[in-house]
Amino acid sequence: MRLSLWLVVISSLVALSCTKKQKAEYGLKHEETLKINITSEPPSMDWSISTDTTSAEIQDNIMEGLVEYNFSDPELGLMPSLAKEWTSSNNAQTWTFTIREGVKWNDGKPFTAQHVIDGWERLLAPATASQYAYFLFGIKNATKFNKGEVKDFKDVGVKINEKGQIVVQLEAPQSYFPYLLTHHCTYPVRLDVIKKHGDKWTEPKNIVTLGPYNLKIWDHDKAIVLERNEMYYGEKAKTKNILAYMIMEKSTAITLFETGKLDVQTPLPSAELSVLKKKPGYKENGYLLLYYYGMNTSKPPMNDINVRKAIAHAIDRKEITTMLSGGQKPMTSWVPAGMFGHEPSVGTGFNPGKAKEFLAKAGFKDPTTMPKIELAYNTNEDHKRIAENVQAQLKRNLGINVEIKNEEWKSYLGKLKSDTPHIYRMGWVADFPDPDNFLNLMTSYSDNNHTKWGNKEFDKIINQAVSINNKEKRRSLYTQAQKILTEQGVPVIPIYSGVKHALINKRVKNYPVNVMDRRKYKKVVLQ
Amino acid sequence: MIDKLKGLAFPALVLWILILTINSFLGFEMAPPVLWATGAVILFAFAVYVFKMKIFSYIFFRFIEAFLTLFAVATFTFLLLRVLPGGPFDQEKTLPPEVMENIAKKYNLDAPIYEQYYDYIAGVFTLDFGESYKYIGRPITEMLAESMPASIELGIYSLILAFLIGIPAGVWAASRHNKFTDRLLMFFSISGVALPVFVVSPVLILIFCYKFELLPAAMWSGTAYYILPVLALGTRPAATIARLTRASVLEVIASDYIRTAKAKGLSETAVLFKHVLKNSLIPVLTYAGPLVAGLLSGSFIIEQIHAIPGLAKHFVASVTNRDYPLIMGVTLLYSAILITSNLLVDILYSYFDPRIKLS
Repeated sequence: MRLSLWLVVISSLVALSCTKKQKAEYGLKHEETLKINITSEPPSMDWSISTDTTSAEIQDNIMEGLVEYNFSDPELGLMPSLAKEWTSSNNAQTWTFTIREGVKWNDGKPFTAQHVIDGWERLLAPATASQYAYFLFGIKNATKFNKGEVKDFKDVGVKINEKGQIVVQLEAPQSYFPYLLTHHCTYPVRLDVIKKHGDKWTEPKNIVTLGPYNLKIWDHDKAIVLERNEMYYGEKAKTKNILAYMIMEKSTAITLFETGKLDVQTPLPSAELSVLKKKPGYKENGYLLLYYYGMNTSKPPMNDINVRKAIAHAIDRKEITTMLSGGQKPMTSWVPAGMFGHEPSVGTGFNPGKAKEFLAKAGFKDPTTMPKIELAYNTNEDHKRIAENVQAQLKRNLGINVEIKNEEWKSYLGKLKSDTPHIYRMGWVADFPDPDNFLNLMTSYSDNNHTKWGNKEFDKIINQAVSINNKEKRRSLYTQAQKILTEQGVPVIPIYSGVKHALINKRVKNYPVNVMDRRKYKKVVLQ
Repeated sequence: MIDKLKGLAFPALVLWILILTINSFLGFEMAPPVLWATGAVILFAFAVYVFKMKIFSYIFFRFIEAFLTLFAVATFTFLLLRVLPGGPFDQEKTLPPEVMENIAKKYNLDAPIYEQYYDYIAGVFTLDFGESYKYIGRPITEMLAESMPASIELGIYSLILAFLIGIPAGVWAASRHNKFTDRLLMFFSISGVALPVFVVSPVLILIFCYKFELLPAAMWSGTAYYILPVLALGTRPAATIARLTRASVLEVIASDYIRTAKAKGLSETAVLFKHVLKNSLIPVLTYAGPLVAGLLSGSFIIEQIHAIPGLAKHFVASVTNRDYPLIMGVTLLYSAILITSNLLVDILYSYFDPRIKLS
């Protein structure tokens, strides 16, 4: 037994020489720390490359763009950020941005217009292979630069003029161009830092930023800690630290919220919304997401406009949103509620009488003679509930049988491209709050239009509207386009516009709630 | 003296690993040299055993076999991924063709398939699995190395818990065959086998985190954090081991040499622990091989519910993301762990039952 005795002695020595593991609170004071849940590991902190909302949530707090949203404006205008002011000329084809002076990166170096140009060049460079490169494809020669056809970035339509302003020359007018600059992919970068550290430049010890917070700790797969940036040019962040956990399981996160270990939890499990709604701290707010069903207009019987109209008339959107009970807004038009261009009166709404008429017109007086229709969705509990409801409604209101099928996400996407089902589920989240972002998707040349529907007049209106700077003129054009889409052609059935749900602890004040779900925490106050 | 030490070597090693585990369970981070030294001792002990038992050629052929298996796994996974519908960069918002071209070029996806395969296999030989498509710029090897410790810790704790509960419970139940204790233990063990972790975990959280606020529900930052996930993960194997042990002990108890031992006048306990137990462990060992591999590579459900930064999520998420390099990485890692633990189990067979010859 002597040997084991020795082992005990040695191991106690080892134990004494060991270090304690990092605690879950990272030594931060509760009253100075906002504790949130970002659900999972951010795939990349490199804002020119990342494409997901988790990374964006952190990037939005450590970086800033030339402009930012004014969320107090009901139609979502813009306000200055790194650009002090901006003007457009030549029918929204040339844009000039004046850079704010006195802004410093958190390593002390001054911010300049060149950093913005560097960011855009890096975003567009073929070697970066950024998925969001297309954000700036509107700039003159940008697409060619991305293709490698134009080698020198000097030939791309971005210049710094003698006043130090950034002048952007577009291929065609784009009245929404400044909106693109709220997105993280267009944020300025520090090439010297990237060059020095390579792929590791986004690690806390290397990264250089200029937003209201600094990236202090990135404990992969566990948590991120942000600390107030004392060198920030604007009003300093109100709360000193942000501790962002990565907890995938919603019910676990809700337990942590209810025991005070988490200040905010979003999203919430939709099946439990009816219970969670009654809890103090529950909040729901509109979100620029359009949930819709598309129809393959080349596949019989969906190639018949009357069949499409019959189906659109036979679905009561209100019944669906009541079932979901999450505060979603039923929709018949295309542009979601909460932004410019939303037109609730447009569209093919619920009317079972008319639905039957259209079906009869299509030659299906006896609905049982209808060929089999397939309704597809990607595997997900909510999509399933909606699909089953629509199936029941079509049986009840039209007497037709629909077969519902689900597939795993990536296979589903593959299927949409190769063999689009009769009816398929899709969603669209606003890249920027302009109707063009939603309506462009249904143009005949859009890669995202899986309906095989195209309308020359519709395409023309969309192209015309984007070059107009007058808001009211644009509004009427977009209303016209929505009528063509949802009343005349009916290749799509809008279902609802989105909602975000959250539980927020009462000690948190000024939590950022907005239709774009952009979470900038600099104004959050803890009590 | 040497013989005495030799007899002690195996238990001493087990004890040492147990101490290290307890240390780490108590929330201490081991200094790397200690871990390296332990690894070296284990390897050395293994080498001595191989040498002594003259099973060198056996081990050598098993290694060749393992190598061929891994090669086949790598090839099949590579091919299967290429047939799977949907590509790594497919998403809700279709990307323009020029952007897709740049991405394909960056990740070498535009090269002919045989060239991609060749590059991949060449990478595997140098333990370079490439960079993740999803976690941009992060090498797979680094990602796996970062998420392995939590999974291994969770796995070892649960494994120890399962053996500590399962074996004594099985032996006890068998020694009280068909009596009340046996029935009670087997009632619990059948419940344990029947209860899935996605029921056990939330119930534990409800009781210990929500109602009484005694333990943390999530994260992996110290002893208190380990208790619930380990309990949840260890319950089922403990119950299975108890049932296996009981059945096997009952079988051994009925054999002639046990009757002889009893006839010699040995006490019940001595018979049970010296003669019965060692011989009844073979079926348990058979079960332990895949169990070890399963536990060490993490449990998706437990890691998700308790927010443990382990390996398991990669098994599921990498496939839904079509993150080819990560899928290949986790598949090969799991295969390697499985092959190794099966080999160890085969060697342990011969240790527990000298009649089994490895050749």
